[in-house]
Amino acid sequence: MVIQDTLFVLWLLAAGPIWAAIGMFLLPLVNKGNADKDQIPTTTLKIAGVISGFALGPLGVGLFYFEPALIRRTTLTAGIVLTVFVSSQVLVRVIDPELPSGLWLILAGPLWAALAAYFLPRQYRAVEANDQNVLTAAALGGFAIGPLIFGLMWQRTPKISRDWMIVLGSLGAWQIYTLFAIHNPANPCVASPFHVTYLTQQTANGIVIGAIYSLMAVGLTLIYSVQGIVSFAHGQLYMVGGYFSFYFLMHSSNVLSELTGAEISINPIFGIPVAAVIVFVMGAVFERFFLKPMHEGLIERVSEYAILITFGFGFFIEYTTLAIAGPFPQRTDRFIEIRRFTLQRAQITDDFAFGPINIIGDRAFAMVVGVILIFALLYFLQRTWTGRALRATSQDRQAAAVTGINPTNMNTLSFGLGSMLAAMSGAALIPIFAWVPWVGAEMVGRSYVIVVLGGLGSVPGALLGGIIVGIVEALGAGCHPDPSRGAAYKEAFALVIFALVLLLKPTGLFGREQT
Amino acid sequence: MKRNALFISLIVLLAMTTLLPASLVYADGHCEFADETITIGGLAPLSAPGAVAGGVAMDWAFNQAADDINADCGVEIDGVNYQIDVVTGDSEGSPERGQAVTERLIQEDEVDAMVGVYHSAVGLATMGMLEANQIPTVFSEPWNDNVSANGIREFDGAPPRFEDGIDHIFRISPASSMVGSVVVDWLLSLGVDDVVLIVENTDYGQPAAADEAARFEAAGATVSKIDVELGTEDFVPILSRIQARAEAPDVIRILVTGETSFNLTQQMSELGIAPTEDTICVTNQFAFQSDQYWATVPDGNYCAFNRVGIIPSLFSDAAVELNAKYEEAWGDIIPSFAMASYDAVYILADAMERAGSSSDAAAIVGAIEATDLELSQGRYYFDYGAHNPDLPEDTPAFMWHQWPDPIVTVMQYYEQGQSGLEAAVVYPEVYQTHGTSYIVPGTSP
Repeated sequence: MVIQDTLFVLWLLAAGPIWAAIGMFLLPLVNKGNADKDQIPTTTLKIAGVISGFALGPLGVGLFYFEPALIRRTTLTAGIVLTVFVSSQVLVRVIDPELPSGLWLILAGPLWAALAAYFLPRQYRAVEANDQNVLTAAALGGFAIGPLIFGLMWQRTPKISRDWMIVLGSLGAWQIYTLFAIHNPANPCVASPFHVTYLTQQTANGIVIGAIYSLMAVGLTLIYSVQGIVSFAHGQLYMVGGYFSFYFLMHSSNVLSELTGAEISINPIFGIPVAAVIVFVMGAVFERFFLKPMHEGLIERVSEYAILITFGFGFFIEYTTLAIAGPFPQRTDRFIEIRRFTLQRAQITDDFAFGPINIIGDRAFAMVVGVILIFALLYFLQRTWTGRALRATSQDRQAAAVTGINPTNMNTLSFGLGSMLAAMSGAALIPIFAWVPWVGAEMVGRSYVIVVLGGLGSVPGALLGGIIVGIVEALGAGCHPDPSRGAAYKEAFALVIFALVLLLKPTGLFGREQT
Repeated sequence: MKRNALFISLIVLLAMTTLLPASLVYADGHCEFADETITIGGLAPLSAPGAVAGGVAMDWAFNQAADDINADCGVEIDGVNYQIDVVTGDSEGSPERGQAVTERLIQEDEVDAMVGVYHSAVGLATMGMLEANQIPTVFSEPWNDNVSANGIREFDGAPPRFEDGIDHIFRISPASSMVGSVVVDWLLSLGVDDVVLIVENTDYGQPAAADEAARFEAAGATVSKIDVELGTEDFVPILSRIQARAEAPDVIRILVTGETSFNLTQQMSELGIAPTEDTICVTNQFAFQSDQYWATVPDGNYCAFNRVGIIPSLFSDAAVELNAKYEEAWGDIIPSFAMASYDAVYILADAMERAGSSSDAAAIVGAIEATDLELSQGRYYFDYGAHNPDLPEDTPAFMWHQWPDPIVTVMQYYEQGQSGLEAAVVYPEVYQTHGTSYIVPGTSP
C-alpha cells in the first residue's frame, strides 16, 4: 500500500512547525539550575530550538536538550555546509574542469596535509605550546588551505578549538565536493535538476538507517564506558534478540489463533520488550559468572580475558541458534501496513522540481523506535539515580564506591543494559531484513566504527556517529563515480571515516581525553 | 565342574554380546556388508560467510543418498556389499578453507571420491588438489564455466585447450553460460533493451554477469552492472540510484545468492522499483523455496526466477519421493542443488559398481563417463570425455565432463504466498504451464 504524500503528513508530525514550537519553549529550560556564568543566551536557545525542531523534530530538540554544548557548533557547521554547498554549485558551472584539480593538488590537498601534520605538531612541542588537537587541525588545514596553514599556525601557535576544525574540515569537504562535481557532471549527486531531490533522498536513507545503527552501537558504548571492555558478543546478542522476538510472535500468534479460532497476527512491536527482558537477563547472568571475576582481580590478563570470553559467548550464542533455528532466513510481519511513504514530485518553478522521495515504511517506524529508545536511555542515564550511578562508575569506580554505589552491580547492570539494547535493535530490525544466525556480523563491525567515531563511552556520540555513518554510506554508494562499484564499497566508506578518526582524533567526536 | 560350566557360560555370553551387534550391523536386515566402507567426501558451506542454507541442504542430500543406497544393500563390488559413508567438510564458502578441508578429507579421511560444492570459488580452488590426488569428483552446484572447461586435455589429434588438464572432475549442475543463455533469450524475446544487472562479487556472479552482458549487448541492449558484496543487508542507497534514473530500466536481473538476494528483492519491491508494469524483476533461483521466499520477500509477487532442474510438473516418482523426504526434514520444497547432490552420490556409487572398484580412480572415471542412469533430476550421461574427446568447433569447452541436460527454465509467481510447485513456467515455450511467456504485474495468467 502506497500512501501518497504521507511523508509530508509524517514530517508534520515528526518534525516541522509543531516541533519548532516545542523546541522554542523547551530548549530555554536548559538554563534551569545552571549558574549564571554557564547560561546560554535564551535567544540562542530559542533559535536553536526552532531550527532543530523544524528540521529534525524530537531528534534535534532532544540532542540539544541533553547536549547543549552542541548548539553553537552545530549552528556553525550547518551554516558553513550550506554556504559550501551553494558556492560549490555555482563554481561547478563556471570553472574549466581540467584547471582546478591540478591547481588544488599543488596549492592544497594530501601533500600539504602530510607536511602540515608532520611539521606543525613538532613546532608546537618545540615552543612548548598547547598541542591538543594540533595534529587534526594541521592535517585538515593542510588539506584545505595548503601552505597558508603554516602561516596561521607556525609563528603564533594558537590554541586549537573545535571551531578551527569545523571551519577547516568544511573547507576541505567543500573542495572535494566541488572537484567531484566538476569531474562528474553527470553524477546524480551533482547533475541538475535532480541533485537536490537525489541528495535529499540519499541523506534521508542515511538518517533512517543510521538511527537504527545507533541503537545497537549505544549498547556497545554503554558497556565500554562502565566496564572498559569491548563486547565481542554484541552482534550475536543483536541476532538473538531478533530470534526471541520472532519465536515469541510466532508462538503467541499461534496460541491466540487457536484460542479464538481466528487468524491472529501480533505486531512485531510487542516482540521488542520480550527480547529486551530475555537478553537483559542473559547478559546480566553472563556478566555475573564470567566477567565479575575479572573485576575482582581473579584474572591475570584482563584485556585478553575480556576479548576471549566475550568472543566465546558470541560463538556459543551463534551456533546454538544455528542448531535450534536452522540456517534458513526468517522475518516477522511488518510493523505497519504501509509499504513506503512517498513525497510526490512537486514542480517548484518552471526549471526546478522536488521529489519524489521514498522511505520504506517499516524503516521509518524502526527509526522512530530507535530514537525513542536512545532518548529513553539518555533520560535514564541523566535524570535517574541509577543512571547517574552508572555514569559515576564509568568516570571513577573508586570514588563511586565511596559514595555508596556498588560497582559490581553497576557492571552487571551495564552489561545487561548493553545486551538489551542490542537485542532491542535486533527485534526492531527483524521485520526489515532477512534474519539468519550470522546476521550480526555485518552490523557489529559497523557498530565498532560508530562508537569510535562518536567517542567510546559517549551515548550522544553513538547516536550522532550512527547517523554520520548511515549518511556517509548512503552518499558513498549513491554518489560513487562508478555506479557499478558504489554498492560494493558501501562498508568501505564507513571504514575510511573510521581510519580518519583514529588517525586524526582517536578520542572520537565526544570521547573523553585520557587523564 | 561348576566352575568350568560357569567359565564356559561366561565365554559364550561374551561371544554373544560381541557378535550380536556385529551381526546386526553387518546383516542390516536383508543385506550383508563388508567390514570396510566406501568413504565419499562432501564439501559444502556449513557456516558463514558461505551460503549455509544451501550447504545444509546439500549435506542433507549427501547423507540421504548414502542412507538410501545403504538401505538398498550399498555398493556391490565383486559380490561383496559395501556401505557408503559420507564425510562432509565445511568449506565456509571460502576457497582457502575449501582447500584445507579437501586436504583433510583426502589425507586423513582417505576418501574414495568427492561430491560438492556450492560455491564456484571453492570448486575452482579445489580442482587442482582433487586432480593431483586422483579423486573422482562429481560437482553438483558450482556454475562457473571453468569448473568443467578446465577438464579439456590433450588426446590424440585434439589440441590441448588448457595447460593443466583436469580429468577426474565431472559436473551435473549447469555452467553459468547455460543458465544465462536461457534467461537472456527469454528477456530478449520480451523485447527488453535496457537491462540492470545486480551482481554478487564472487566467482559465480562476475563471470555469469559478463556472459549475460555480452549476450545482451550482442543483441543491441544496453546493460548497466552493479556489484554488491554477499552479506550486505541494506541496498536502499544503490536502489535509490536506479530509481533516480530518468527512465526506469526494462529489467532488473539479480545475480546474487542466498539471503542477500532476499533482502535485495524485498527492498526493490518495497521501493516500487520492480516488479512493475515498466520493469521486470528476475531474482535468484532461491525463490523456488517458496516458504523461505514469502517469509522474507512478502512483496515479491510477480518476480520471475531462473529454475535449474526438472520442473515440478515433470517430477518423476523418484523426485516426488525425494521432495517428500526433504519437506519432512526441512518443511520446504527441495532445491535443485539438493536433488543434484543426492544424484551425485548415486552416480558415484553406480560408477564404482560398474568399475568393480572403489579405489581405482581411472576405472571409476571411465565408468562415470559411461554413465546412463535415470535419477531424480532426469537421465544422466556425459557426451564428452576420454570416451569421446573431440568437441565440435561450436561446442563450448565447458561441455567436457559436463552433464548436457540440466533443465533451465524461467518461472514466475503470480499469487502472493504461492507454492514454488505452482508457480508458472514462462520459458522456454516447450515447458510453459500457463500459456504465456510473462505475467504482467496485477494480472493473472
